[in-house]
Amino acid sequence: MTAVARTTVEASAVPSAPSRDRGGRRLPRILHPVAWWVWALALATAVSRTNNPLLLFLVLAVLGYVVTARRTEAPWARGFKYYLYLALTVVAIRVVFRAVFATGTTPRDHFLFSLPHIPTPDWYAGIQIGGPVSLEAVLSAATDGLRLACMLCCIGAANTLANPKRALRVLPGALYELGVAVTVAISVAPQLVQSVQRVARARKLRAGRTQGLKALRGIVVPVLEDALERSLRLAAAMDSRGYGRAGTATRRSRRATGALMLLGMCGLCTGAYGLLDATAPTFLGLPAMGLGTALCVAGLRLGGRRITRTTYRPDPWRLPEWAVAGSGVVSAVLLFSNLGYDPAQLNPTFYPLTWPDLPLVPTAAILLAGTAGFLAPPPSPVQRADAP
Amino acid sequence: MTSRVATAIRLTPRVGIVMTMAAFLGLVAFFWPFVVAPGTFGSNYAPTLIFGVLLLLVLCVVLSEIAEGGIDSKALAMLGVLSAVNAALRPLGAGTAGIETVFFILVLAGRVYGPGFGFTLGCTSLFASALITGGVGPWMPYQMFGCAFVGMLAGFLPRASGRREVLLLAVYGSLSGFLFGFLLNLSFWPFSLDPDSSIAYLPGLPFTEQWQRYIAFDLATSLGWDTGRAVTNFVCVMLAGPAVLTTFRRAARRARFRAPVRFAAPPTAASGRR
Repeated sequence: MTAVARTTVEASAVPSAPSRDRGGRRLPRILHPVAWWVWALALATAVSRTNNPLLLFLVLAVLGYVVTARRTEAPWARGFKYYLYLALTVVAIRVVFRAVFATGTTPRDHFLFSLPHIPTPDWYAGIQIGGPVSLEAVLSAATDGLRLACMLCCIGAANTLANPKRALRVLPGALYELGVAVTVAISVAPQLVQSVQRVARARKLRAGRTQGLKALRGIVVPVLEDALERSLRLAAAMDSRGYGRAGTATRRSRRATGALMLLGMCGLCTGAYGLLDATAPTFLGLPAMGLGTALCVAGLRLGGRRITRTTYRPDPWRLPEWAVAGSGVVSAVLLFSNLGYDPAQLNPTFYPLTWPDLPLVPTAAILLAGTAGFLAPPPSPVQRADAP
Repeated sequence: MTSRVATAIRLTPRVGIVMTMAAFLGLVAFFWPFVVAPGTFGSNYAPTLIFGVLLLLVLCVVLSEIAEGGIDSKALAMLGVLSAVNAALRPLGAGTAGIETVFFILVLAGRVYGPGFGFTLGCTSLFASALITGGVGPWMPYQMFGCAFVGMLAGFLPRASGRREVLLLAVYGSLSGFLFGFLLNLSFWPFSLDPDSSIAYLPGLPFTEQWQRYIAFDLATSLGWDTGRAVTNFVCVMLAGPAVLTTFRRAARRARFRAPVRFAAPPTAASGRR
């Protein structure tokens, strides 16, 4: 009775502190990682359709809004700015390489300047280095690079927003061992940093050098010994907790799994061969590859039976997950449907040079994807870095 | 000196067949710009994504087959810990003149613990590092595949001992660094450049011209990085190789991977009471 009373008191105390909760009255929780990935990949698909710099900048703005509104304090959530740097690099590389290794300028172009022309030998005739650089060439390289940069940023947003430790649960049962190894790796990595610091401090106390190549060996070996020792202890702990318990797979189902995998791989190889050889019948190409894929997936599903897993605290898939994933998918569908706008507006031409239009329906579609920023529940105010 | 310890993960003949097919598929997935008949794919983005998904599926199949033969808990814990070492080492090198620190542990561990372990370690260390740093993306299957094969082939290197073994591993490490860079460049070359640039991928060109374009691209973008990677690998293995090899071998002896399990007959009731 007292326990019930205590829980009700605690529950009523939660809404009394609204200043910490950025999402109004909604309870903070972590959105299902798959929902964020679906949203981001759908947005990346939508981006692949357009070359319009205005729409692309709008996508970047939407990504920036959603990431700032819904990211946590976890270490992987700080990576978005590196994706932005990477995006800038991509655009710069495109423009520079287009200018230096230039071909495809027409007499109607607006010439900006000319780079010195370097002659290449006859047997290397396909490559041109230097020559005139036109405004159209630079602009087309920049917008094309911007599209690639936007797709990169979509992936970066998914990495920032989705919790990778929870995403590991989506791995199929056949890859259970891989998932365990990666989970071990993620949990051990912080301990390794401590181990390195400990060894370095010990070296310092003995007046040993802590920098330079000689110190490398003095630090690497103790840290590795420590890590390997830890792995043996961990293995003993796993054994004592029942790792390696067999699942429900029988000998027959194991054989069937093997047969499915081998047949599937044969199908994939045949498909790959069909893609290489132009004279091969068409059914050897992508259809054979599809069949092989289906067989392999069936084999993986069947192979998952050799492990029984139970889930501790399963991630729910509720209305916010549907809303976030749906907003991304709907925007991709709108950009591929050509409904209510001229498809030419998505890819404005540079001949003649004009200011690009902002078509209404694609703009609305991209803004719709941005609603994920408030459709998703707010993340919990303090997300511990080592929380699962 | 080279006391042959049991490899950590057993490779059955079935895994061997699957790995051979996986190697063929990997070659196609990396070298498609030169060999695919023109007009097979619509855009330059499509094949990269298709082959990325394909490589992911192939990796899943190979790993599942390896796991089917049984990974004991000691090998699994060692995989996890060494992946953590690799994931912690990786950010140290990234961004500074192409210094690549992942291959160092990968090559040595593949050598000591065998090809199956090397393959799995290549996958898990890149996967863990991508999860920690937020670097999951379509490039990951290519990287994982490359690293997996670097680790696996290290396990297949010929017998040698003493200084010769270290030299062999150092040369292998630097060569694999070069090859890895060359292949990974190839994986994003088709879409990373403006199609009007004269070193970009152009579907339908004859092999030699396409090859010349790619070599120019490789020279212009990443030869310096790859050289840096090769030199670091060589120097790291030469300097720290012997000590790390000894450490790994000692751990392998202590772990006794795949120790045969024998059930002794239960003691009789009379002897149990005494």
